[in-house]
Amino acid sequence: MPTPAASQTVKELDAYHILEAQRRNRPVSPHLSVYKAQISWYLSGLNRITGSVLSGGFYVFGAAYLCAPLFGWHLESASMAAAFGSLPVTAKVLLKFGIAMPFTFHSYNGVRHLMWDTGRGLTNKEVVRTGWTVVGLSVVSSGILAMM
Amino acid sequence: MYAQVRTAFKIEAANLTSTSKYTTLTPHKGSITSRIVRIRAAASRKAIKAAAFQTSSKRDILPAGPQVIEGTANDPAPVPTPSPTHGSYHWTFERLMAISLVPLTIAPFAAGSLNPIVDAALAGAIVLHSHVGFQSVIIDYIPAKRLPRTRALFWWGLRAATLMVAIGFYEFETNDVGLTEAIKRVWTA
Repeated sequence: MPTPAASQTVKELDAYHILEAQRRNRPVSPHLSVYKAQISWYLSGLNRITGSVLSGGFYVFGAAYLCAPLFGWHLESASMAAAFGSLPVTAKVLLKFGIAMPFTFHSYNGVRHLMWDTGRGLTNKEVVRTGWTVVGLSVVSSGILAMM
Repeated sequence: MYAQVRTAFKIEAANLTSTSKYTTLTPHKGSITSRIVRIRAAASRKAIKAAAFQTSSKRDILPAGPQVIEGTANDPAPVPTPSPTHGSYHWTFERLMAISLVPLTIAPFAAGSLNPIVDAALAGAIVLHSHVGFQSVIIDYIPAKRLPRTRALFWWGLRAATLMVAIGFYEFETNDVGLTEAIKRVWTA
């Protein structure tokens, strides 16, 4: 025989308010840190981060070029080339690698996304393989671009 | 507590039958609905227990705002009206723009530089691609339902920024040596 549970009578309206309070207190899904590090979602995140950084830089330059006459800045290609050319070689190579890396990664990974959009290469194995291919290609071509 | 939860779900079940057009869903003993109601009540009891014995630390990186109830507690989430302009057409347009960037990006590496028209097309395509990309970021991180004013601020801010950048690159393309040639000159300086 089951033990009788302690209970109390609740009016229908009060019960509805309890339900409402529960609905308002639903759990929020956990943050990214609960997931295991895997190349699939790491590259997905990096795709957005690199895209935002590249577009952010592009936007900052475009807006700054428009405002340059107001503030007397010199952002024309000749003065930028002169300023960049005066930097030490190490700084030039590092800066170029720092720009080439997100650019090549986002370009190669963009092509990978377009391939997925046609329904190809969607198995876990292929996603991991193409992911590492993109990482390898980005590092190699950024290295080449940085030395140019 | 269990009694309260049970009563609440009884009301929910009653509400389901009274508001639904499927009046045959009356939760008589042993029916699917009554089973669902029992499972839900059990799950809810478990959740209450889990909340009480939660020991892991809580990190509120982007804490959820206050949750509100629209209509009654038993209304389903609204389904947006299907719109190809905001759905499949928009998606296809995004892909076409991304695809157009492939030859436009390869061309300067293959040819050394670009003629002014193709260079302007590249700059324009990057502006559009960036705009759509930033739109996706705003849609994902600033929910219109919870933060309508912040969303509107960022939405219009992005439009203003894109317009400014587009004019900036028009100036750059018409007064300077063009995007690819400028990058080449700075890169090899």
